[in-house]
Amino acid sequence: MSEIFKPVTLNFGPQHPAAHGVLRLLVQLDGEVVNKAEPHIGLLHRGTEKLIEYKTYTQAIPYFDRLDYVSPMCQEHAFALSVENLLNIKAPIRAQYIRVMFAEVTRILNHLLNIPAFAMDIGAATPMLWAFEEREKMLEFHEAVSGARFHAAYFRPGGVHQDLPDGLTEKMQLYFKNFPKFIDTLEELLTENRIFKQRSVDIGILPKVEAINLGCSGPVLRASGVAWDLRKSQPYDVYSEIDFRIPVGKTGDTYDRYLVRMEEMRESVKIILQCIEKIPKGPVMIEDNKITPPRRSEMKNSMEAIIHYFKLFTEGYRVPTGITYVPVEAPKGEFGPILISDGSSKPYRCKLRVPGFAHLQALHFLSKGHQLADIPAILGSLDIVFGEVDR
Amino acid sequence: MISKILKKYSIGNFYYPIKSDAEGILIKSDLIIEIVQKLKEDKDLLFDQLVDITATDNLQSEAISTNDRFTIIYTFLSLINNKRFFIFTNVSEDNPTIESITKIFESANWYERECYDLFGINFKNHPSLQRIMNDYNFNGHPLRKDFPLTGYEEVRYDDNLKRVVYEPVDLKQEFRDFDNESPWEGIKDIISEELKK
Repeated sequence: MSEIFKPVTLNFGPQHPAAHGVLRLLVQLDGEVVNKAEPHIGLLHRGTEKLIEYKTYTQAIPYFDRLDYVSPMCQEHAFALSVENLLNIKAPIRAQYIRVMFAEVTRILNHLLNIPAFAMDIGAATPMLWAFEEREKMLEFHEAVSGARFHAAYFRPGGVHQDLPDGLTEKMQLYFKNFPKFIDTLEELLTENRIFKQRSVDIGILPKVEAINLGCSGPVLRASGVAWDLRKSQPYDVYSEIDFRIPVGKTGDTYDRYLVRMEEMRESVKIILQCIEKIPKGPVMIEDNKITPPRRSEMKNSMEAIIHYFKLFTEGYRVPTGITYVPVEAPKGEFGPILISDGSSKPYRCKLRVPGFAHLQALHFLSKGHQLADIPAILGSLDIVFGEVDR
Repeated sequence: MISKILKKYSIGNFYYPIKSDAEGILIKSDLIIEIVQKLKEDKDLLFDQLVDITATDNLQSEAISTNDRFTIIYTFLSLINNKRFFIFTNVSEDNPTIESITKIFESANWYERECYDLFGINFKNHPSLQRIMNDYNFNGHPLRKDFPLTGYEEVRYDDNLKRVVYEPVDLKQEFRDFDNESPWEGIKDIISEELKK
């Protein structure tokens, strides 16, 4: 018998719609059951870390947008905080509020891509269409502040690039007050859906101890029942002044990961609304022309301003020597650059610690003993984006 | 506090001071297993998560005067005590070898593979030390400082041969690396003092 039923090795991807990008997965199958799932990554490797070593700190910012390209601003946030930590400066309060607000908009954007993509993998097509309409509306807020829908380069060391345009907070308030209704309708489609539950409940269970040991973070870790969120445990910017809760799962299966993301969106809406209410007036960038460029109008009249401008965009600013690691709670988990500065205007080394890398590594553990058709469900629930895994 | 418990292992400091909210020690590379085990299991430490393993090439840095060619950086997180911890250890250029910690932290597997791929550091007793980021038949270790940014080989699809071909890099324009650094002293701690006023 064993001679007839040899284990089959299947090549899943790199061009497969359920692989969420360019994942090549070597799956060893015993009939329908997965014995071993071995991810082969690196097909989207662009050498970001090496490139950053050759760029000034200002020029390095856009690379962070292109890591996890569905949640760009959270990653700029980590870089801005790290550089500020090395420079020993703090962004003005208004800038901190704007950052928190837009980090949360980005979080909703990310979850609104992940949840319907996950649902689509296991057979529901409608959520994708609905969520993309809402995403498009939210991307308009991105566009309003930065001029770009995705690759914003908006959070800079020392603050944010520009102040909010007039009337944006009112528009956002109006939109986000109604947004929970959309989450409700999305939930009606999925949460109690029989097919959805059959495909996700008790699939890919990640126990607490394993989740920690495998280096998981973010919603994946929280779905396993670990109440850990960097916004609460190691708060940065103004998160400590904002009231929000951390949703935690019970079993750690794919369904729980979905539920945690759903709840997180509701909490994000709360954070955004609180930010809009609390946001004070004031500067949005520290006013130190050794680090931040002078205003346009100043440059027309002041020689010194134009020298500053020129020096900042050629040489850049020098950052004191040191090593720093200031992670943020990105939508996918703990993201942060391990930044080494040698005192020049370019980073000496910038290692990007990305959550997806650890999560993808856990795939083998999660899929072992499940059926082949469960792999897309598990992959979808881990929220893998190859821009950040391959860097 | 943490450094006190591990003080006996310390052999000095890493060249670059830690600026973020974390502690760290520099240790001898052959003690790595013992110390990581202690970090994970000691009741006062309980660093239960390995956040990252990476390395840095000290070739073009002043750190080379006191450190070996490569410094490996381990980052740990204690979810229980809410603390972060760095372990630095040096390995030489001639023999960049260190014991793998995959037996203690399962997640070290890919981090060590990445380190091997990008820096050429060998991890002894690693279950499968293969390249992870780069191509299957790639030569060299790209994050070493003596590896050029543009690399050595480029690939393209050849329409006649109907396959992807590898060729030496041929840049249509020289890589432009301007030296814009001003010879004057950069800003130091002046900024923070000015801002406090």
